Amino acid sequence: MIYVENLKKEFKKTVKAPGIMGSIKSFIKPQKEIVTAVKDISFNVEKGEILGFIGPNGAGKSTVIKMLTGILTPTSGICTINGKCPTDDRKNYVKEIGVVFGQRTQLWWDLPLRETYGVLKEIYEVPDDRYHKRMAFLNEVLDLDSFITSPVRTLSLGQRMRADIAASLLHSPKVLFLDEPTIGLDVVVKDNIRKAIEYINKQEKTTVVLTTHDLSDIELLSKRIVMIDKGSNVFDGTIPELKSKYGQIRELHFETDTADVSSVLAYSEHFGFCKDDVSIETEGSSVKVRFNSSIVPVSDMLSYTLGKINITDISVKDADIEEIIRRLYKQGV
Amino acid sequence: MKQIKRLLRMHRIFVVQELKRMMEYKGDFIVGIIGFLLGQFFNMLFIWIIFSQIPNLAGWTLEQVVFIYGFSLIPKGLDHLLFDNLWAVGHWLVRKGDFDRYLTRPINTLFHVMVEKLQIDALGELIMGIALICITLPSVAIEWSFVKILLIIIAIPFATLIYTGIKTATAAIAFWTKRSGNITYMFYMVNDFAKYPVTIYNNTVRNIITYIIPFAFTAYYPALYILTGENPFFNIGMTVIISIIVMTIGVIVWNKGIKAYESAGS
Repeated sequence: MIYVENLKKEFKKTVKAPGIMGSIKSFIKPQKEIVTAVKDISFNVEKGEILGFIGPNGAGKSTVIKMLTGILTPTSGICTINGKCPTDDRKNYVKEIGVVFGQRTQLWWDLPLRETYGVLKEIYEVPDDRYHKRMAFLNEVLDLDSFITSPVRTLSLGQRMRADIAASLLHSPKVLFLDEPTIGLDVVVKDNIRKAIEYINKQEKTTVVLTTHDLSDIELLSKRIVMIDKGSNVFDGTIPELKSKYGQIRELHFETDTADVSSVLAYSEHFGFCKDDVSIETEGSSVKVRFNSSIVPVSDMLSYTLGKINITDISVKDADIEEIIRRLYKQGV
Repeated sequence: MKQIKRLLRMHRIFVVQELKRMMEYKGDFIVGIIGFLLGQFFNMLFIWIIFSQIPNLAGWTLEQVVFIYGFSLIPKGLDHLLFDNLWAVGHWLVRKGDFDRYLTRPINTLFHVMVEKLQIDALGELIMGIALICITLPSVAIEWSFVKILLIIIAIPFATLIYTGIKTATAAIAFWTKRSGNITYMFYMVNDFAKYPVTIYNNTVRNIITYIIPFAFTAYYPALYILTGENPFFNIGMTVIISIIVMTIGVIVWNKGIKAYESAGS
């Protein structure tokens, strides 16, 4: 459905020396520099799939989304939805997509929310009967009724986000782009929004591309993730694949009365771990040890630890996706 | 035809939306109207003081000069009323990345930006223009004919589009430079020359406002035809041709600009 191949985007940037003299110099003779925001990105998304599109800040996520939504023109490469290209026929292309930028709003700021939907109905040429049905459906999923008559400027962030998602779905798009739809929201609202996204995806087979920094969004919603960094693909696959590829991290939790555990245990010296392969956190009597199980098997780690200190309670855990991604982002792969 | 019908319908919807928006803040709306009426009063007073000092200008009578001045306010006011939002492109829409919104909607971006706001202040210019024309009409002795009225009706929208085209082209520069409000302002201010008969200027100014920044076709040339009935092929014909050229340049620069648009980080 969505097809992206060797997508690349360069920006021209003026380089300035600091201070007012630097600004004056740059004004008279600007120094141009080319910055590559997106170097080479390729991926496909099937119909009805929810794709988690992740990467650290500045990785180029928003730039890719903006190319896919027809906002930016790619420097080179291909991006199409159902074979349609945004730069060829933008107007027909955007009819089939819905976009939510969590940090911006497309609602009419000064007017009651209902007015926004009235105008969007005309912009997308939704016939009256379809519009009423659609509003009833969106109201049921996103619970808009309690604030639909309030001016947009008075809505809370959670209400505004629900309203924005509804606005992007009014014309029944085939693809929905969500750029940080849960940013700044409390757990309950996040939960409601996730449920709504999931419901719409199931009901209407809407393809969803989701960027977020909240990995629970990804874990709960998407089966597949595409991770990018510094403008290039880093990983493309399912969450279990990500875990088996990078998830050799295990966590050892235990309670002990031994003081100064880390120097007593001295894992690095004993097993020859590198700096990134092991870490110890202590909080009162409870200790959390993270280690790379591809270097030292869990059983060796357990027997060594049990032999060294006095332990009351112990458990071993799989690293969660958050931990894997934290390591990937830090190392830059 | 279907396309035009849809554009007109969209235009009406945006205008209604804009009126609702203005009335959302009653206090601001009422004070705005009072301020506007006061402003118009002082404006009238000012023009009366100036023109009462110059009874005759390079062979033009006071009434003729005032008539041209009044006529110049009509296309300017129409553009100001309907398409004022183009200023926002050069000031902040591009710089802050708010232009994204227009690109994700299935409407022509230029049209969408142009009609999104209604500048009610412009009614002042229109009212004043009509008032000045009405006051001077009895004393400028115009010979009316069917063809003349028809040509005037044709000339006004084209004269308006000269303003719109210049604003479009200069606003679109912001797609490359991020800000172009001052460029638009610089061009726009040249229109002050066009409110008076161009024969009072030297050749340089006359050529600039006729051929380079062609504001003379928004007022002097069409008004000259109305006053004298002379040379409709140049006075009206060139207004139409220049208007089409300027608007075409505006649209070309705009469309190229959209390809260069860089949005803003989010």
